Amino acid sequence: MSATVYSEPYRLPAGILAMVVHIVFFALLYLGFNWNRQPFSPATMSVELWPDLPDGVTAAPVNPKVAESVKPPPQEKIIKPDIAMPDKKKPDLKAVEVAKPRPDTPKPAEVNPEARLAEQKAASAQAERIKQQEEQTAAINKLVDEYKAKITAKIKRNIGPTNVERDASVIFLVTLLPGGAVLKVELKKSSGNEAYDNAVERAIRKSDPLPLPPDVQLFNRFRELNLVFKPTE
Amino acid sequence: MEVTKDLSFLHLIANASILVQLVMGLLLVVSLMSWWYIFLKMFVIRDEVRLTEEFEDAFWHNQNLNQLYSYANSSSLRDQGALERIFAAGFGEFAKLSKQQGVDASAAMEGTRRAMRATYQREMDRLESHLAFLASVGSVSPYVGLFGTVWGIMNAFRGLANVGQATLAHVAPGIAEALVATAMGLFAAIPAVVAYNRYAHEINRLSTRFDSFTEEFSNVLQRQS
Repeated sequence: MSATVYSEPYRLPAGILAMVVHIVFFALLYLGFNWNRQPFSPATMSVELWPDLPDGVTAAPVNPKVAESVKPPPQEKIIKPDIAMPDKKKPDLKAVEVAKPRPDTPKPAEVNPEARLAEQKAASAQAERIKQQEEQTAAINKLVDEYKAKITAKIKRNIGPTNVERDASVIFLVTLLPGGAVLKVELKKSSGNEAYDNAVERAIRKSDPLPLPPDVQLFNRFRELNLVFKPTE
Repeated sequence: MEVTKDLSFLHLIANASILVQLVMGLLLVVSLMSWWYIFLKMFVIRDEVRLTEEFEDAFWHNQNLNQLYSYANSSSLRDQGALERIFAAGFGEFAKLSKQQGVDASAAMEGTRRAMRATYQREMDRLESHLAFLASVGSVSPYVGLFGTVWGIMNAFRGLANVGQATLAHVAPGIAEALVATAMGLFAAIPAVVAYNRYAHEINRLSTRFDSFTEEFSNVLQRQS
């Protein structure tokens, strides 16, 4: 045997088979594996924003303006106000009210035209802007009122028939969580009739997810609610 | 940092850093070669086992060694098994030595065994060729793939440092593309290790058969001399 100068057989078939194995492997990898090819849809990215800052910080710039049109009916409607703003907000509101138009009372109405004129002279654009803001805040206030009415309506539906004097009224401080869950129900002022107080408290807890506006920005206005209930209605 | 990330396979590879791409390319080449050798050895060893069986059969059923020898010399290299070549080398050497004057029987046997030994070693070398490559691929390519992955993840985290608010979406594509390197390393290594163990075992068995044949054939020749 001189030498086994022996070109190995099967070079080509082996090479082809090796290629086939790799092609199959990559095909499986490419097709069989669900690579995330879709871009993230906005739905998967949606974030629930919790306005964490307390009322004093976030609400300060927005609320005063908003409040002034919430307030217009306070004195008259105090007889039948479904909801009163929490006490601590009241000073804020009053401070702003002075500068804002109040159709109900003549005195601010006198002040306002003057202010308007001055502003027009100074910058009519600013007036326009303020007007827009006012419209905006008015719309927001309308929405807030609407939802507060809805909340009281829902609770009232859950108050069973009671036997109480007509002029009794009970005030509850209700603390809400974002989403409408009732966190705390606190009796602020008793109606004098324990049965009625309890009935109202039960009704508040029973109507647990209270209706809230879909705009989470407005939640600050609903965090703490002073709810006034009267058996008359 | 864009939030919409295309995680398709090709995109992952195309977006990887140069070093990771190099590692992946290296692993692809290594994997192709190792599979090539796997199939090559598969065919060669299968043929070798078949030829060995055929030759043993012919040897033990046909006691005419001259006929076997002429047949072995006439057949093409491709149809010759290793055992046939060992036989041909041994018998050719023995025939030459017995014709020479002044060579005693034990010296002739010595020469014959040496000739068979040489052919046996050559044949074993041929059979075992490329097995070392498979063994190296099996042990090294996971580490190479791991290296690519570590490098890719390092890059992914370094990129993360530049982003103020880190989310999973920032790291995930980098890690996914880095892990492709490990996957490729394992894909190259697992078949190589399996094939190496299997082929080493089969070649070992063949070598035992060749050894015992050499001994038995030596006995046959000694009886004839």
